Amino acid sequence: MKMLLKPIKLINLNNKLEENMKKMLQTVLISILFIPFAALAEVNVVSWGGAYTESQKLGYGDPYQELSGVKINWIDYSGGLSEVRTQVESGKVTWNIIDLYAKDTIIGCDEGLLVEFDFDNDFPPAPDGTPASEDFFTDMPSPCAVGNILYSWNYAYHLDAHPEGLRPSTIADFYDTDKFPGKRSIYTSAMSNIEIALVADGVKASAVYTVLENQTGAVDRAINKVKALCEDENGGCVFWSAGAQPPELLASGEVVMATGWNGRFFNAIVNEGTPLQMVWDGQVLDYEYFSLIADSPNQDEAMAALAYFTGTEGLAGSAKYIAYAPWRISSLDIITAGEPWYKDGVTEMMPQMPTSPANTKNYILMSGEYWADNQTEVGEKWEAMKAGL
Amino acid sequence: MNANAQNKIYTTDGIPLEISLKKVERRNKIKAFLLAAPLLIFLLVIYIFPILNLLTRSVDNRLLSELLPRTYIALQDWDGSELPSEEIYKTFFIDLDIAHKAKVSGKVSTRLNYTKNGYKSLLNKTRRSLKNFEDGNYKEQFIKLHKKWADLEYWQAMKQSMPKFSVDKYLNSFDLETSFDGKIVQKPEDRRVHRILWLRTLYVALGVTICCLFLAYPISHLLATLPLRYSNLLMICVLLPFWTSLLVRTSSWMILLQSQGVINDVLVYFNFIGDKNRLELMYNMNGTFIAMTQILLPFMVLPLYSVMKNISPSLMRAGSSLGGTPFVSFRKIYFPLTLPGIGAGSLLVFILAIGYYITPALVGGASGILISNKIAYHMKETLDWAMASAMGSILLVSVLLIYWVYNKIVGIDNIKLG
Repeated sequence: MKMLLKPIKLINLNNKLEENMKKMLQTVLISILFIPFAALAEVNVVSWGGAYTESQKLGYGDPYQELSGVKINWIDYSGGLSEVRTQVESGKVTWNIIDLYAKDTIIGCDEGLLVEFDFDNDFPPAPDGTPASEDFFTDMPSPCAVGNILYSWNYAYHLDAHPEGLRPSTIADFYDTDKFPGKRSIYTSAMSNIEIALVADGVKASAVYTVLENQTGAVDRAINKVKALCEDENGGCVFWSAGAQPPELLASGEVVMATGWNGRFFNAIVNEGTPLQMVWDGQVLDYEYFSLIADSPNQDEAMAALAYFTGTEGLAGSAKYIAYAPWRISSLDIITAGEPWYKDGVTEMMPQMPTSPANTKNYILMSGEYWADNQTEVGEKWEAMKAGL
Repeated sequence: MNANAQNKIYTTDGIPLEISLKKVERRNKIKAFLLAAPLLIFLLVIYIFPILNLLTRSVDNRLLSELLPRTYIALQDWDGSELPSEEIYKTFFIDLDIAHKAKVSGKVSTRLNYTKNGYKSLLNKTRRSLKNFEDGNYKEQFIKLHKKWADLEYWQAMKQSMPKFSVDKYLNSFDLETSFDGKIVQKPEDRRVHRILWLRTLYVALGVTICCLFLAYPISHLLATLPLRYSNLLMICVLLPFWTSLLVRTSSWMILLQSQGVINDVLVYFNFIGDKNRLELMYNMNGTFIAMTQILLPFMVLPLYSVMKNISPSLMRAGSSLGGTPFVSFRKIYFPLTLPGIGAGSLLVFILAIGYYITPALVGGASGILISNKIAYHMKETLDWAMASAMGSILLVSVLLIYWVYNKIVGIDNIKLG
């Protein structure tokens, strides 16, 4: 403050008028400095960015901000718990709510980085009075998780890359480089890749984790399948790490097929008009969760916001902007009643969902527990395979 | 003695001059130190302390011995040849129960899961059933709960994870591990990943340094010898990318290098290559090489330029007048004079390249990633910060080693940064 006011002091030290002005200026400066602190509480929500964060912001972030006056800030990240751990360990937590994979809710809860919920007390019941714990499709993987969306890891291709009549339609086609030559894009980590590879190699989708846990060499079998694809003269792999990449890689013609998150493909097709086609076979159906970070500032405001986000209306709201299914059973009623639910007013959302009957003929249900358990060992093998490419 | 005392010179207030002077000197020293203190504290807090923290983290393994203190002692005498005794099972139950009630059993499972995968769900299942345990026959109850508790490997893994300090992470950084009987052995072949990355990192850093040197030498020479108005323009061409954000430059390279990108399109347009045989310039080592060379080029150009600028043109003329061909005068006069610049530039580029992260992450694909990407992997994905610290320390030590070798061979005083 003193530094800022010094020039004024120098101009005219003795003038009383100036002295008064100085005081006035001081008040103004102080009030400017303190306005941000005096304003209403802020809640920082961390998510995966792109079309997904957009759907969350429009679906329940903005409505809640209007409703409560609490400012919701959206922050992008690319997965993992390292930032959360850094913040909690250093005692300077700035994030409140985070969007996590199932395995990370387990690990984060074990490490004491996340808040354990008292589920039915913390989250509102469905409109018909069903308690929250029964309104969600399944149990949570850990006491620190609350369901957000169901999405899927499936593959898509560019219509121009494959002539009509010769288009891939099964998960085996993704690995068939004789019929469909060209590079593929796959997720950078082992998660989702080894499951899909096993199904493409003939394992029954429902038995993937049983095979992985009990058959020796199942992981190697999956990794070798991916390795063969990546080393194939007609194939080749580009690894993606951000959800926006697969549609981009397809659109630019860099790859002929790519696994990715169905909502991102949907966004590229419906919103951006990219001629892509998704294939619903042997995909991984996965859940996404919200967690509350331990010892974060404005904990009460954050909890209230989270309860709104994951309420019946909140979850239905985000489905207006992206093809991810809401975790709450009661949200589906709102969507069905409101069809066409998509923001453009013409697209029906229910058939686009990864949970719709047409899209769930042959799918793998992601096991967060398997990955919380095995990510070190499988990850090592996967990374060793990648390093040797 | 007496004569000495008499010869002493006193100040006006009666203190011997010698002492008085020392006092003033000391006061000045303290003043000087106080002036430098903020910087020292800054260095200590921002630089020295984190590095020490990094080093301790990589060997600090006290977690289990603190959270399972009784089991730690009990397992000391267990030789690992057969399943532990009922006594040890009971001790483990007591420890786990206490840890569970203190809400720290999750940390135990995370730590054990690094050594042996499967521990996470095993302990999560176990601790959920802890309240159902009855007194006596703990061994039987554990095994009934989960058959993995009858698996010798899990108990061996627990004992192996117990020592208070361990260099396992360093061994792991070179794809080695200690077997249960204490021998250092190679990891299974399909899990070796680090050595290949260390070698690749060295190879890329060295390659990029050499590429930079060959590209920067003529540029710097031009910069130093051209008339001012041309050389200024050229200088801006060198500095402009230097001032541009690293991310922007890397993304621009992505636009240029991708298979449907500018470079390939131009080559296809002029029929240098067929549409089916587009060059693979990105998502492999090529991408890493090209982008890193361009990004690090200014770090080579600037030291070289500053050295070349100070070489008098008359020296080369003198060489010619003494009968030297241009090549001979270059080799015998110009080149040796630029050596300090080459040394400085190469050292800078090499040290920067060896820890490069963002560019290989974006354009390197699988075959173009370096050791720093692996460190990030352990920070983010596995959350095994001890492992990341160990690898970071190795990187730090290797850079210091290079610096030391350079100092021995060339001498650090010969470096000229401008």
